Amino acid sequence: MRKPIKVLAGAALALSLTVSLSIAGSVSLVAHHSFAAEFDDTQPLKLTGTITKVEWSNPHIWYYVDVKNPDGTVTNWALSGGAPGQLMRRGITKDLLQVGSTVVVEGFRAKDGSTNGFGRQITYPDGRNVLTATPQDRQSAPAEK
Amino acid sequence: MAIVVACTGGIATSAQNARPAEATAIPRTADGKPDFTGTYQWPTYLPGDERGRSNATTFDRKRFAPLKPGGEAFLEPRTGDPRHDEPRDFCMPAGFPGGMLSGNAMQFFQTRNNLVMVHEFQRMTRIIPLDGRPHRKGLEPMFDGDPVGKWEGDTLVIDTTNFKRWALDDFYYTNPKEYRMHSDALHTIERLRWKSKDALSYQITIDDPKIFSAPWSQEFEIIAKPEWEAQGLFEYVCQENNRCPGGKCGGSK
Repeated sequence: MRKPIKVLAGAALALSLTVSLSIAGSVSLVAHHSFAAEFDDTQPLKLTGTITKVEWSNPHIWYYVDVKNPDGTVTNWALSGGAPGQLMRRGITKDLLQVGSTVVVEGFRAKDGSTNGFGRQITYPDGRNVLTATPQDRQSAPAEK
Repeated sequence: MAIVVACTGGIATSAQNARPAEATAIPRTADGKPDFTGTYQWPTYLPGDERGRSNATTFDRKRFAPLKPGGEAFLEPRTGDPRHDEPRDFCMPAGFPGGMLSGNAMQFFQTRNNLVMVHEFQRMTRIIPLDGRPHRKGLEPMFDGDPVGKWEGDTLVIDTTNFKRWALDDFYYTNPKEYRMHSDALHTIERLRWKSKDALSYQITIDDPKIFSAPWSQEFEIIAKPEWEAQGLFEYVCQENNRCPGGKCGGSK
């Protein structure tokens, strides 16, 4: 059962951060380079902020999002995604991640508890959606053996 | 340049793979051999086999032969040291067969004397001699081993030896406690053939006498992706921006 815990979240803030901790995690994750060692699929991450930088390079893309905290400070989150080749073969190119845009990013936190994470999906205010993970991330994982 | 002629059927490895009696058109080289030149999806599992939890493919445990005494080293516990548990984290090669099963595109180039298999993941490149030469001697064990190919009818049989001990497949993502390590006695046999006009049958036999009591095999499917030809393979230089060495991700912020 999911039990979301809001951290640093302010309802009145247009830019807010919500971190949901749960034991759900029934997703298949990008895997060619050690996802399991780096990220925790039991710690979903959802944040809203402004894209500040995009690194479109191997072995994984990284993009950075400024998120305003309730106390007025700003945290720059670093989000990893699929390999550029995997994304481009699906028609997802660097220009779909627009620096300066406000976006909602959904993904998972890094295991080290830092402000790094894995971004599965970016949603723009007009509803446009960019899946920054691989196609298999949209599928449910088979049951554990 | 490939030509397409009628084929009356390749070598079936099981009833499941039996081909229809009617002729099937497959690409052929000028000298009449099956032509595997083209762009493909990575090897994918057949219905009924487990695919693992990632976009990469793993061997299905039910295909394994029983472990022999001493073969327990195959299921090596993770130590918590990422240099042991996941050396790809440091951009070390996945090796064969693991790298071949990774979830990236592949492109094959075939000449009379060689089949070159280029996998987008880590740009793993395998050059398979087709001229009948034997395995090379005196080489140090390798991540990808030393392959040689020969034709058995319309099936290309690739025999590979001289591996170093390394991860068998991408099992890292399926079970957090076990690490599948083949031994340095690994010997693999791949059987590659067109099973239809747009897919290859790809069987890998794992012959590891230090681990298993007998050789065992699993068949995969490799789907042709001519629609990926225009883009081609993309560059993959792992060292370019690896921000998670040792499982400690750190962006450039």
